[in-house]
Amino acid sequence: MTATTAPRQKSPSRRWWKRDPGPSGAGSQFLVGQSKVTPYLFSLPSILLVAAILGFPVIYGVWQSLYRRETIGSPLEYVGWENYASMFSSDAFWHSLNRTAIFVIGSLIVGTGLGLFFAFALFRVVTRLRFLRAVTVAPYIISNVAAAVMFRILFNSQFGTLNRVIEWFGLEGPSWLADPNLAMVVVIFTQVWTDLPLTILLLLGGLMTIDKAYLDASLVDGATGWTRARFVTIPLLAPQILISTVWLSYSTLTGLGVVLALTGGGPLKATQTMAMEMYTVAFRSLEFNQALAIATFILVLNSLLTLSYVGIGRRYDYES
Amino acid sequence: MREEPVLSRSTARAAGAVIGGPPERQRWVGSRARKTLRNILLALPLIALVVWTVTPFLVTLSVSFKEKAEVFADPSLIPASPNLDAYREVLSSDSFTTSLVNSLIVGIGTTLLTIVIGVPAAYAFARFNFRGRHLLLLFTLLPRLVPSLGIMIPIYRLAVILGALDNRLTLIVVYTGMLLPLAVWLMVGFFQQIPREIEEAATVDGASLWGRLRYIVGPLAAPAMITIGVLAFREAWNEFTLVLVLTSTPGKRTLPYELYLMQGIEGIANFPGEAAFTLLTVLPFVLVYTRVEKYVVAGLISGSGK
Repeated sequence: MTATTAPRQKSPSRRWWKRDPGPSGAGSQFLVGQSKVTPYLFSLPSILLVAAILGFPVIYGVWQSLYRRETIGSPLEYVGWENYASMFSSDAFWHSLNRTAIFVIGSLIVGTGLGLFFAFALFRVVTRLRFLRAVTVAPYIISNVAAAVMFRILFNSQFGTLNRVIEWFGLEGPSWLADPNLAMVVVIFTQVWTDLPLTILLLLGGLMTIDKAYLDASLVDGATGWTRARFVTIPLLAPQILISTVWLSYSTLTGLGVVLALTGGGPLKATQTMAMEMYTVAFRSLEFNQALAIATFILVLNSLLTLSYVGIGRRYDYES
Repeated sequence: MREEPVLSRSTARAAGAVIGGPPERQRWVGSRARKTLRNILLALPLIALVVWTVTPFLVTLSVSFKEKAEVFADPSLIPASPNLDAYREVLSSDSFTTSLVNSLIVGIGTTLLTIVIGVPAAYAFARFNFRGRHLLLLFTLLPRLVPSLGIMIPIYRLAVILGALDNRLTLIVVYTGMLLPLAVWLMVGFFQQIPREIEEAATVDGASLWGRLRYIVGPLAAPAMITIGVLAFREAWNEFTLVLVLTSTPGKRTLPYELYLMQGIEGIANFPGEAAFTLLTVLPFVLVYTRVEKYVVAGLISGSGK
């Protein structure tokens, strides 16, 4: 590179409808990738299918959330924001929002904590990762329902292995799924169990890409063990921690399978998260349009999360 | 290239590190005794990891070999008289066999359709310059913006209107639509790694577009296709939220839905049956798991990395 290199151009317009110069070096001098028709022919089925499955239903759902049926069987009437108004004035909604907050924050604390712990552990034996990686990833191949069944057996108050272990210590094991507070704990742990493989791999990957020089430098400065982890390694892991944080909140905020199969929202609605509330309103009370208001609320909340993630991701990518 | 996934460079690097080879091993300083002590201390968290992951499986395995009454009478982990009654019962029940067939059809159908539709699109995004290429950026975000929970009710209503409930084809199409963004995005990355020059050389030698895809790009991209295939099959096999609303009659459901229903059907919970059902659901994956583990990891990381 010469000293007279032109200053880096500002990136051209990101507007997708503007034709851009194309993939790296795709100019007229290339033999491959010049056809006018082929790219449309190739990509159209995908674009149309994604638009039909992911795009259209969202628009349809938001539109339908502005309508309401007074009684089952009567025609739909346009009611504007009334479904949202009645959602925000319903106690059940605020209760489910509160439960969701506990579910999400609890999963974040347990998930990130365990994820960091196991990632650090794996990092030390990274040369023998093959077997341990297979074990780590195993929960990912299980469906949420299967995980819920397994945890119902594990946490069963009468014969569950966990209570057997507690009894072995001479204590009385609680009835996990009948107690409102403990049921939430079980739900959190089950959800984290299914999501942890990703958290661990993300954090482990982050650890493996940390520049050794930082660690060596901190060693020279006398930082070891916990001090080093606390002040050097974990700050350097910040991008991965943030990514796994947002991923965990996404998966808990929009997760239905674990809660539905494990507790069904009970006991005493203690685990009635927003996802459960939406499902109950739609498919138990059959108030679909009312439930669509909840769905829209969840989508907006989730979009805010994702966009914050984009912001975070960009900032770290540009820094590095 | 400009359009390289904007959000994921750090993640991609991390992914490479996890899949790729090990870095140098750290050397320990200190006496032999200290070293041994250190090794034991280091092993403890790893044992915890194995216990954390494996316990639910082991407990389920143990219960699946017991009699219904024995579950409560003898809660020890190793069954006193292990028997296969629960497995026999599950395997002979219609709910399992029909939903297994449904899951297989939906799984294989989703896998094939995802590859057939997704791979050409990825090739177009990676190689061609055309209006709409920027949709790729949208593709990287869509799965995160639109979780299956968000489209659960609208899709159900639309399926009712279109008369598409209780139909395996509906499931295949819906799952494919949900997976395509991820699959396409993943494949674009692979295609961009294949040097354009190879294809150009083939063109000079007279290869057509089809010839290049068949003999050059296809074979080179095979690992990526296996990855998205495994990803698609896993998703279709395990998906619960949408199959819950898109099917309702017996004989049309997939395995997770049948497993969910099994919990409430009998008066006294049939724990051995549920356990056996669960393990039989997991079994197909476990059998091939060691072979596809690498692809599962790749899919797992790419699924999040965006």
